[in-house]
Amino acid sequence: MIFLAKLGVGVLGTAFVAGAALSSEGFIAVRVHEKSPDGKNINLFVPAAAVPVALRFVPRQHLAQASENVRPYLPIIDAAIPALEQAPDGVLVEVIDNDDHVLISKRGGSLVVDVNDRDDVVHVSVPLRAAQSAVHEIAAANGPM
Amino acid sequence: MKQTKLNLLLLAVLLTATAVWALTPERYLHVRVTNPSTHELVRVNLPLSLAEKVVPAINEGQLRDGKVQIGDFKADNVNIKMILDAVKTAPDGEFVTVEEKDNNVRVAKEHGQLVVHVIDKQGKENVDVTIPWEVAQALTANTDKDQINVEAAIKALESVGDMTLVTVTGHDENVRIWIDSNSSDK
Repeated sequence: MIFLAKLGVGVLGTAFVAGAALSSEGFIAVRVHEKSPDGKNINLFVPAAAVPVALRFVPRQHLAQASENVRPYLPIIDAAIPALEQAPDGVLVEVIDNDDHVLISKRGGSLVVDVNDRDDVVHVSVPLRAAQSAVHEIAAANGPM
Repeated sequence: MKQTKLNLLLLAVLLTATAVWALTPERYLHVRVTNPSTHELVRVNLPLSLAEKVVPAINEGQLRDGKVQIGDFKADNVNIKMILDAVKTAPDGEFVTVEEKDNNVRVAKEHGQLVVHVIDKQGKENVDVTIPWEVAQALTANTDKDQINVEAAIKALESVGDMTLVTVTGHDENVRIWIDSNSSDK
C-alpha cells in the first residue's frame, strides 16, 4: 500500500514537473474561424517549449532549405527578439483597408498577429523566447554555425 | 561611522539612478499613412530601443553597420559636416528657396531645427520635414561620403522631445511621422 502511494506521488510529481517545464515558455495559440456558413473553427494550443524539442526529431534534410534561408537573418533575430521582449506591450503595426484588418502587437512576452478579412478571422500568438529557440533549432539543422 | 554614511550615500545614489533609469519612458517612432478617399490606414509604432538594437545587426543591401549607402547622393568636394556646423551656428533664417514650375522648395533654420518645406504643384502634395540639429549632425557622424548614419540618428532621436518629423499632405495620401513616448498613436 505504501509502495503504491509512493509510486503515485512519484508519477504525480513527475507529471507536475513535466507540465511546469512544458508551460515555462508559455503557449502558442492559433485560432482560425472561417466565415462561410459551413466554415470551420480551428483552435490549437501548444506549449511553446515543446516546439524546439519537437524540431530536434524532424529529419535534418527536411529543415535544410529553411536552415539555409534563416541563417543570414539570425543576427537580426537575435537582436530583435530580446529588444522586443523588453519593450512595453502595444500595437506595432496595424493595416486597415476595405476588406482586411491586420494587427501585429506585442502582448506579455508574445508576438500576436490578428487578421480579420473577408473570409477568415485568424489569431496567432507566439511567445518570443520560444520563437527564438525554434529559429535557432531550424538554423542548426545544416550543421554547426 | 563615516564609512557607514558614505556607504548609505552611495546606496542612495545607486537606488536613485536605478529608479530614474527604470522610469525613463520608452520612445516611439510612429508612422501613420491614411487615404482619405478609400479610408485605408497603415500605422506603425516602433520602439526606438528596438530600432537601436536591430539596425546595427542588419547587413543587407544598402544598410551596413548602421549606415545607409545613398547611391545618387552627390557629395563630391562638398564637406557636409562643415556645412552643418556652419548652419548650426548661423542665426535662424531662410537658406534656400527654389521656386520652379513644378515645385517650390524652402530650406530654413527655425528654432534650432532644420526645416524643409516642399510644395509639389503637379502632384498637389505638401511635404514638411523638421529635423532637430542633433539628429541632422548624427546623420553625418562617422560616415564616408554618400553615407548616412541611421544608427546614430536613432540614438539622437531618443533624446529629442515629442515632435512631428515629417508630414506629407496629398490628394491621395496623408503621411505623418512623429516621435513621442506613447505606445499607441491614438
